[in-house]
Amino acid sequence: MLIEIHDLRKIYAEGEENEVRALDGVDLSIDYGEFVAIVGTSGSGKSTMMNILGCLDVPTYGEYLLDGIPVKERTERELAEIRSVKIGFIFQGYNLIPSLNVWQNVALPMLYQRVPLAERQQRAMDALAQVDIAQKAESRPTQLSGGQQQRVAIARAIATRSPIIMADEPTGALDSKTGAQVLGILRSLNAQGTAVILITHDNGIAAKAKRIVRLIDGKIVSDQPNVPDEARALNENM
Amino acid sequence: MRGRQLEELKMALESITDKKARSFLTMLGILIGVGAVLILVTVVTGMNADMEAYYEKLGVNKVYVTVTQYDRTNTLDITDDLMGYVASDMSNIAVGVTPDIEQSGTLRYGGNTNDSAVIYFGNEQWADCNNYTLEDGRDLSELDMDNRSMVCVIGAYVAESLFGYIDPIGETITYNGYPLTVVGVYYAKDGTAEESMDDAIVVPYTLNRSILSTAIITDFTIKVETSDDMEEAMSRIESWLSENLDSNTSEYTVENGNDEMNASEDETTSLSLILGGVACISLLVGGIGIMNIMLVTVTERAREIGIKKAIGAQRRVIVTQFLVEAAVLSGLGGLIGIAIGYGGSLLIGKAMYDLILVPDTMYVVASAIFSIVIGIAFGLYPAVKASGLQPVDALRAD
Repeated sequence: MLIEIHDLRKIYAEGEENEVRALDGVDLSIDYGEFVAIVGTSGSGKSTMMNILGCLDVPTYGEYLLDGIPVKERTERELAEIRSVKIGFIFQGYNLIPSLNVWQNVALPMLYQRVPLAERQQRAMDALAQVDIAQKAESRPTQLSGGQQQRVAIARAIATRSPIIMADEPTGALDSKTGAQVLGILRSLNAQGTAVILITHDNGIAAKAKRIVRLIDGKIVSDQPNVPDEARALNENM
Repeated sequence: MRGRQLEELKMALESITDKKARSFLTMLGILIGVGAVLILVTVVTGMNADMEAYYEKLGVNKVYVTVTQYDRTNTLDITDDLMGYVASDMSNIAVGVTPDIEQSGTLRYGGNTNDSAVIYFGNEQWADCNNYTLEDGRDLSELDMDNRSMVCVIGAYVAESLFGYIDPIGETITYNGYPLTVVGVYYAKDGTAEESMDDAIVVPYTLNRSILSTAIITDFTIKVETSDDMEEAMSRIESWLSENLDSNTSEYTVENGNDEMNASEDETTSLSLILGGVACISLLVGGIGIMNIMLVTVTERAREIGIKKAIGAQRRVIVTQFLVEAAVLSGLGGLIGIAIGYGGSLLIGKAMYDLILVPDTMYVVASAIFSIVIGIAFGLYPAVKASGLQPVDALRAD
């Protein structure tokens, strides 16, 4: 199993009046190559979930096994290593570094993996070509449109060839057409074997995933394979 | 590995040039500190060198003896006895002894005059005692003393001002109307300038009666071998004087010629200590300025730090980034400070001592290293703080 969590809880200001249970006893398993959407309204705990799964944050209670190994036991150094090698992040706000140009942004995670410069640049250019934005390699992020920036962010996530892509509202700031393009890229990545975890509040976007996990108030209320509408319609007609 | 460090340096430079005004203001403390330290050190070093050269020319290890006698009807001339005592009993520590009376007056030769020269009354050891070396002709001799010869040996500036290109040896000049035959010329030792040590002549001290109308010699200079022997020489001369002078009618003073030099050396040493302290405070303040601005930078760039940590940057990478930036910032300040130190030293050296003063390479290298060290020392806290940010908190920052 790629990801296994048991009774995961994230509690802010525990025991105080303003206690918030962002995650309240979550169990979830995600296998290699899955395409999972974690859906919930704002405040449902979905972003907290992604931060914990992405090793950006630590749970208050519960167990998280990544690749079968408890994350709790990892040192800070190893966690950085995991983020660098295992996980590619795509954020709603793109989170590109404005002082670096496009290919440097894409190559940055590989700098931390000590990939030599020539190879770093090559892989960055390949990733940019994959999301069809290689022509902007020398531009600064601020010179690009939102859709273009998000594609750069995707290129950064895939250039490291990490087995997991975590996308937090990746289409949230995009119009529907560019949003659809971004989702198309995620689907084709998944088709090539990358596990994709998509965090969203939008059911329409979640519908592109193969499995949908619904969160309400920090608890999983449903977890089922996504059956396309056409298939359901066929079923009902029989 | 080298490529990566180069990239870190490049990123630091970019982030510094991104905010030029702020970076410059931050550097200002270090810049002024380093510039001030270099200028002060250079100027004080120049002052010392200037002074040492002066005392070197003047001659070191001299004891000045002055005798005052009140009973004018019954004066005692101790000249021969004192010279005899130094020559025989102090020969192990003393180089020589000479009467040393200074007068001013007008020197003339042909149509040329010199009003600025100092006229010394000395013996054949006067040149040795006062650091003059003969260039041409002969020096004064014992015979000149005995015969009260109307001769003189002249300094380089006197030769130049009175004779120009004429050979002065054998020519006769007048001093306040007294004819004196030039028998020798001393080498220039003080720049051959008016009122310098080269603007001087020496005549036999035995001419005092005819030229000065004084019965006795009151001033002497004794040249001692080494500075270690000064105390010993002074105490022996003092005891000899107390034995040989009537304390009821006379007084004497014995002065250490090195005292003045030592005093001015002490003065410059304490001056440089005080100024150095002030400069260190300025550097400290500069360092605090850097720490302050780096803390602001960490807050401003929290999001960037969050992104970097999210995509796999180790703590070390973040620490290095901010340390390099702080070190580059203060190092750059130091570099500009060094440039200012060079300019300032040249300017002040020219204006104050008419010397070409430049900071010693050792101090330049030391201040370059020191300014970088300040950057690292004061950048450490902000850098560690930055690297300790939780990625999720840092990402949440605006």
